Amino acid sequence: MENKQPLLEIRDLSVVYPSKRGEVRAIDSIFLNVEKGGRLGLVGESGCGKSTVLHAISRLISRPGKVTCGEILFKRKNLLKLSSREMRNVRGKEISMIFQDPQTTLNPVFHVGEQIRESLRLHNIIPGTHLPWPFDIARKRQEKERVLQAMREVGIPSPMDRYATYPHQFSGGMQQRALIALALVCEPSLLLADEPTTALDVTIQAQILNLMLKINQDHHTAIILVTHDLGVAAEFCDTITVMYAGRIVEQGPVDDVTMNPQHPYTQGLLACRPVISKIDQKVQPIPGNVPDVIDLPPGCAFAPRCPQVKPACLEGPIPIFQTGEKLFNRCLAQVSYERDPLWSWEHIVRQCDE
Amino acid sequence: MKAIKILERVLVSIPIMFGVAIIVFLFMRLTPGDPVDIMMGRGGAVSAGEIEKLRSEFNLDKPLHVQLWLFLTDAVKGDLGYSYVQKTPVTDLIRERLPATIELALTALLFALIISFPIGILSAVWQNSLLDRFSMAGAFMGISMPGFWMGIILILVFAVKLHWLPVQGRIDFDAQLAAGTGFFVLDSLLSGNRAALISSLKHLVLPGFTLGAGIAAILARVLRSSMLETLRSDYVVLARSKGSPEWNVVLKHALRNALIPTVTVIGLQVGVLLGGNMIIETVFSWPGLGRMVVAAIFQRDFPLVQGSVMVYAITFVLANLIVDILYTYLNPKIAL
Repeated sequence: MENKQPLLEIRDLSVVYPSKRGEVRAIDSIFLNVEKGGRLGLVGESGCGKSTVLHAISRLISRPGKVTCGEILFKRKNLLKLSSREMRNVRGKEISMIFQDPQTTLNPVFHVGEQIRESLRLHNIIPGTHLPWPFDIARKRQEKERVLQAMREVGIPSPMDRYATYPHQFSGGMQQRALIALALVCEPSLLLADEPTTALDVTIQAQILNLMLKINQDHHTAIILVTHDLGVAAEFCDTITVMYAGRIVEQGPVDDVTMNPQHPYTQGLLACRPVISKIDQKVQPIPGNVPDVIDLPPGCAFAPRCPQVKPACLEGPIPIFQTGEKLFNRCLAQVSYERDPLWSWEHIVRQCDE
Repeated sequence: MKAIKILERVLVSIPIMFGVAIIVFLFMRLTPGDPVDIMMGRGGAVSAGEIEKLRSEFNLDKPLHVQLWLFLTDAVKGDLGYSYVQKTPVTDLIRERLPATIELALTALLFALIISFPIGILSAVWQNSLLDRFSMAGAFMGISMPGFWMGIILILVFAVKLHWLPVQGRIDFDAQLAAGTGFFVLDSLLSGNRAALISSLKHLVLPGFTLGAGIAAILARVLRSSMLETLRSDYVVLARSKGSPEWNVVLKHALRNALIPTVTVIGLQVGVLLGGNMIIETVFSWPGLGRMVVAAIFQRDFPLVQGSVMVYAITFVLANLIVDILYTYLNPKIAL
């Protein structure tokens, strides 16, 4: 087995949004590992904090939210310790993002090609001296060439004609392709994809996922795919992390998580997917609602909806158990577990706040 | 293609002008008070025969539809008639007064833009900051304060008490400025007359500011609210995720989009620039079109009022045409 180096390591990351009713722990002590060229899926219901993880990585958490503790090691640098200028050099160049709704994400008043070119210009990708506006023709032509190449690669037909058109003249799928071209034009090593297929037709979804897979293989770009669709994640990713109420509940290689889910929440997610081949089936919804993250129960956040709940689940924080080589699970149902009265999860959290 | 569309828009405005002409004509006739009576006084010193003679000279003895027909046919030829009071062609009078009004309006617009843009942008970027609160309170005052009152206060403070700026007029009486375009700033620049330039600029400050302040207040609020919206949009997040510096995010990605609603409001405010200047010109004794129209209305000088209002209408239609054309450049989704 080849020894893969970690590209991104997130350790004990928490993000808090202060609100009038109290603090919202949008993500609570997250641990993640992404290898070079890896494909990680972050799965969960809306509001579980999966997008917040991406925003935290690119340090684009909107105020008043803030990272309260933890570290994000990208190529062994802690991104949280970088100055805002250094962080700008990482954004778009080393870590790029694509978004859920391509229609509102492209700026409606600029040409699509120019928006892609802006990334090249911001990061001085084309070498040489940077002349001011009327004298930058030669450089501009080189940059445009690169943009056209990127547009061609993501499958935008006749990129020459499409360069100087506005976003509203593109279809949704084409807009998403343009956004992928924009994200990839500087050849980043990590791509953060925030529900990139949710707003698209199913047929287009498959095309976009295949495109991302091709990019992952051709350029060895690592991808974190955030999705609420476990099926999409199962098809695309090599590792899956399931999140619930800001916490990781299960993490492991895709086959283990989807074939043999350990956590009742993951099981629930799988059970509520309809299967076409089965006739007369009933989809099993997870009973209850997503909990209010301001007012979480002291124990397992999923306990109120869990069919396998035990008294110990309600008592206090549940630790993460390692159940396989790369398998992690935050559930008491599968393990015989005696709560150690001296140990507490809050203790760890408080430690890192200091 | 665009040229044809613009021509189309210009042609569409011709019926609008006719409509304006007819409405102005009728409204002047509907106002109580007869021009000849006002001219001759109430004393009865003038004989009935002389009054009749004057009436027929002004065509006032003819039926209304004939008068309207005469006015319209002359107006098409570019002849707006003679002022009853000053006995000079209306076109000459307008030509003499129009540059002063345009100069004031442009100054006011300049003031409005210079004040509103930084305030609007910064109070959106630093929402709920001290600057935001103060400037929005200021904008609220600017909208609520009547122009004539603000003009008088400014005159009292800056002209009467501090003697920094002149009280009224367009230029010092002793300024030697050769006649030219009628735009004093332009004329003094062209003739290289420094004293006249400084004098005419000084005279522009107070009336320009007074007229512009209300517009600045409205624009600042519009710009702030549309900037708040664009700053929260997805494309701003995209711009940041590209590694764009914050000034570029604000001034390029957010502002370009926020300009779309703002320009519409600027176009609407051109009406305020024209209508409001009647009051401001009176307060500052500015020898412009507005003051002339006010005087002409009191004297029931029908041709002069009609002609001046036609000029206002043309300016308004033209300004809106310019805004529409500008709009197509700002918003690619809109075709003319």
